[in-house]
Amino acid sequence: MTTTLRRGRLILGGLSATLLLLSACMGGTTDDGKDDAAGYDPNAKVELTWWTGQTSEAQKVAEGLATEYTKLHPNVTIKAAPGAPTVDDLLTKLSAGFAGGSYPDISYAFGNWAGDLGASGKTQDLTSYVQEPSFGWNDMPPAAREVATSKGKVIGVPALVDNLAVIYNKKMFDEAGLPYPKDDWTWEDFRATAKKLTNPAKNQYGTAYSVSGSEDTTWHLWPLLWQNGGEILDGTKPTFNSDAGVKALETLRQIAVDDKSMYLDQTDEKYGPLFNSGRVGMMISGPWSLLDLKTAKLDYDVALLPGTNGDHTTVSGPDLWVLFDHSDANRAGATREFAKWLTSAETDAKWNLAVGNLPLRTTEKDTPAFKKYTEEYKGGQKFFDNLANAKKARPTVAGYEVLSRNVGDAIAQVLQGKATAKEALDAAAKKSADAVEE
Amino acid sequence: MALTFAATPRSAAPAGHRRPQSGRRALSRHLTGWAFAGPATLIVVGLSLFPAVWAFFISRAKWNGIAPATQVGWQNYQRLAGDPDMAAAAQHTLLLTALFVPASIVIGILVAIALNQKIRLIGFYRTCIFVPYVASAAATGILAGFVFNPQFGAANEILRNLGIPAQQFLESPGQAMYIICIIALWGEIGFTAVIYLAALQDIPKELIEAARTDGASPWRIFLHVTLPELRPVTVFTAIWQTITALQLFDLIYTTTRGGPLNSTQTVVYYIYELAFQTQRLGYGAAAAYLLFAVTLLLSALVIWYGRRRGTEAF
Repeated sequence: MTTTLRRGRLILGGLSATLLLLSACMGGTTDDGKDDAAGYDPNAKVELTWWTGQTSEAQKVAEGLATEYTKLHPNVTIKAAPGAPTVDDLLTKLSAGFAGGSYPDISYAFGNWAGDLGASGKTQDLTSYVQEPSFGWNDMPPAAREVATSKGKVIGVPALVDNLAVIYNKKMFDEAGLPYPKDDWTWEDFRATAKKLTNPAKNQYGTAYSVSGSEDTTWHLWPLLWQNGGEILDGTKPTFNSDAGVKALETLRQIAVDDKSMYLDQTDEKYGPLFNSGRVGMMISGPWSLLDLKTAKLDYDVALLPGTNGDHTTVSGPDLWVLFDHSDANRAGATREFAKWLTSAETDAKWNLAVGNLPLRTTEKDTPAFKKYTEEYKGGQKFFDNLANAKKARPTVAGYEVLSRNVGDAIAQVLQGKATAKEALDAAAKKSADAVEE
Repeated sequence: MALTFAATPRSAAPAGHRRPQSGRRALSRHLTGWAFAGPATLIVVGLSLFPAVWAFFISRAKWNGIAPATQVGWQNYQRLAGDPDMAAAAQHTLLLTALFVPASIVIGILVAIALNQKIRLIGFYRTCIFVPYVASAAATGILAGFVFNPQFGAANEILRNLGIPAQQFLESPGQAMYIICIIALWGEIGFTAVIYLAALQDIPKELIEAARTDGASPWRIFLHVTLPELRPVTVFTAIWQTITALQLFDLIYTTTRGGPLNSTQTVVYYIYELAFQTQRLGYGAAAAYLLFAVTLLLSALVIWYGRRRGTEAF
């Protein structure tokens, strides 16, 4: 009898201990409203952890930069680690780090994580810091600045900027006797060109689109939606199924279903190589494709996205350096100084331009490093100019990933002729409504 | 060289002759016992039971792993009931199970009978059948991806030689699930075949000889002697293969990732997508608990049915 009682008490004790542990793991920290770096002593000895999200070559460059910074500021040691095998895995690593209390001071992050990371309560509030004139916040593209801001709070600094444009195969245009796209072309021009470039006998397609239902599927639709005057969200209410959204998706559907001049890629990974091997005439993609194109030795050029009524709005998918708070003013302050140095025009030339990305700041356009970049990567200049068309950013709300998945599925259905644009988008909006609710 | 330390029943002292033990000896006996059982118990509790309990608490919260969790009671479970994606995933899982389980049993029996013949090199053939089972499903999936590639795959090459038009296979919403089932069968037949081979060799020879003496044809012997003798094993394989089909993940992950048009999104894959792709940990945990309940119920039903028929497999 006593044993049973004792055992019962033991189990109860174990259960309540478990519960305590669980609530500790699933909880978050609330902001105390104080500046994280208040009372920062610039000469204090600190050690910072930097998750770069990079591998191989770029990681070596990052380690070099960390050493360089320590040389300039001997009291700051920076441990540069990749953090995770791919950037995708960083979010999981960060969330595990939050639960275990061991997260970095600064980490690479995809822009669409900003909402979730901001809600963790572990990020620094940089809103007033970036406004200092020496930071040069306004030299960065507006869309990138918007992505770094979650619920009105700046939680990080843009790490990489990009945008979507049309990359086309000049040889295929010449063979079909077509003029190269001009900067004022329209979606009707795009559709007609794609149709003429398509040749089923030779397995050639005018253009390509990913129908995997991932973010790659979804964000290619947003420029069309915006050009037609639509919005993704109104507050927290999905509005991508407006008339503008339906018209946007219908434009793509005509190319895919009516004309059959669009290669539909069930993965995200095939259309790039197919374009590089001369099977696809025009590909909507970003500056990250330039390195592969250089390797493939393809004769290509870059044009702005087709426009609607002269509006050539494109989408930007900026990545971020997110800064975290460890309740240590000296660490927080040192991390800010490092982020400022890393994204300054001088350092950025050694970082983004060196590894083949667009420059972060407009002030870099006259530097020798940028000149070298545009010579090495054909079309780099066009992508840089296209930053001016990246006026809008994807929403930085928690739950965007769910919305993105639903819209991706809707696009995949429509482009494969399984649903009309209206039906599919309405269903996606209905499914996304409670994911983005708060 | 093999040494066995297991005590046979004969070596244990008869219970009646044992003298009452002192408290210290009992304690040391307990300690010795726990020294053996302790590490394994810790691992099971730490890596299986604790996460399972934790998952239950997560399933009653809205949590993305980063921001603080909000308790929502049974709301996740209520929402599951009206989720069209969940219903579709359940249908896909049912289709896969309905195809996979009977096929793996029937083909398993046929292969086992073929491997039960006394012919040359039978050991080699048995190994060949078993090798795919040993290979990891992830490797099988990647390999199958090459074979069923619509443009360059070997499968379309064969169809072309037979004069059949090329198929889209894993890239067609209508075909993908059947192809997944075929790949899964290729990997799992080795397992059922080996189980049935052992069962076939356990059937008493006298039964078959007696039937033959009575003038029964080989077909009738198979139908009325062999098959009834295989029934307990069939209950076991049915449950085992059902669980395998319900939990099939790595193969889908490495071939279609739930596509095209979500046609191969099974419940397990949907759970992965909820929890790790769109960061809805609470909702994903609720779906996982639902799957657990269904699996438990199915297994209980089959065992209950088996006991009622007088064949105990477990």
